[in-house]
Amino acid sequence: MSFGDRFLGWLPWILAALIIAGIVHLTSILAMPRLATEDAFARIARVAPLHKLTILAGKPDAMKLLPFEDPSTAVAVCRFDLTQGPLRLKGKLVGDGLMLMSFRNRYGAAFYSMTDRGTSRGTLNVVVVTQAQLEAIEANDPEDETPSELRLTSPTLKGLVILRSLAPEKGDYPRAVEELKSIACLLEPAPAGAGVKSG
Amino acid sequence: MAVFFKSLFVVTIGVALGLFATWFSIEQGHGFGAVKAGPWLGWPRAGTTSADPYARAAISRTAELPLGLAEGLSFLARSDSSGRPLRRECIYTISPPVPAARYWTISVASPQGVTLTNDFGRTGFTSREIIRTGPGRFSIKLAREVQSGNWLPMAAEGPFVLVLRLYDTPVSSAASALKGSDMPSITRGACA
Repeated sequence: MSFGDRFLGWLPWILAALIIAGIVHLTSILAMPRLATEDAFARIARVAPLHKLTILAGKPDAMKLLPFEDPSTAVAVCRFDLTQGPLRLKGKLVGDGLMLMSFRNRYGAAFYSMTDRGTSRGTLNVVVVTQAQLEAIEANDPEDETPSELRLTSPTLKGLVILRSLAPEKGDYPRAVEELKSIACLLEPAPAGAGVKSG
Repeated sequence: MAVFFKSLFVVTIGVALGLFATWFSIEQGHGFGAVKAGPWLGWPRAGTTSADPYARAAISRTAELPLGLAEGLSFLARSDSSGRPLRRECIYTISPPVPAARYWTISVASPQGVTLTNDFGRTGFTSREIIRTGPGRFSIKLAREVQSGNWLPMAAEGPFVLVLRLYDTPVSSAASALKGSDMPSITRGACA
């Protein structure tokens, strides 16, 4: 048996190994966000209750909790679970400092993000809903009035709101934390007629 | 029987190879869509719902929450402008330009993303607190020994990364057009 014959004999096996490798690779990449037990949501769930704005600044492990956070920003999180009802985020920003706001799905990906410049003159009024809740809210809307709130449909039932307030200078840190405290995160009563079918 | 063992062998090799490829691709960064400008690397979409599966997998493992597009852009440098890996034992000078942004910040972190602390309590600079020598002119010195001007104290030894964040920036939508000459340069000086 020459080398060439031996190689030809192995060729289908090598191909089979490569095909298996490709399938395993793609499946594991796609499955990872669902299998990860230590992702941002899981870590935040340990320190932040549902529907309550929790400020991570001052907690020494905040940086270890979320890697690559900016040390010059104060971070607050609000975890939501839309099966209990929509989430409302409201408040009046006290200063004109930089505030970053992102609304994220269960896997930490932002489905909407904005800064303080995206608020209407410093007033924030956002409601995060499921598709069904949105339809129920819209059904109750007065006919000839444009809603004064920003309505965001979350692609997943659970998720995170991340607020980051910049302290432009070191001494500004307490003010950055105050800025975060001016925003409240609340569970809204579910609108009449809204199931939780979508998600 | 030979066929059975051969198949078992092939399946084992295939699974190992596939998992290795997964590990390797996630260690490398945040998937496709990387923007490279000089020593700086960014993944503008990594933190959004339009991220590719590789970015999603990487983020689920590191637990970071990258900025959304409207918040800004962040860039990572693992090497200096001449491509040499960043070391805490060396002196570095960071010089302009910085792309237009309402604010920017530069900070030092371990390769795993934990902010490097030191006895001086300074872990980075924001565009507001930087001392400028003229319009758009500044330099940040990274060193273990005291430096004049914008001194970013370093401690211990080993690799580190620099993180540049551009907040509320018009560059977000055109990040892929950034060139090395638009981004801060990182020049290495003496090494201990």
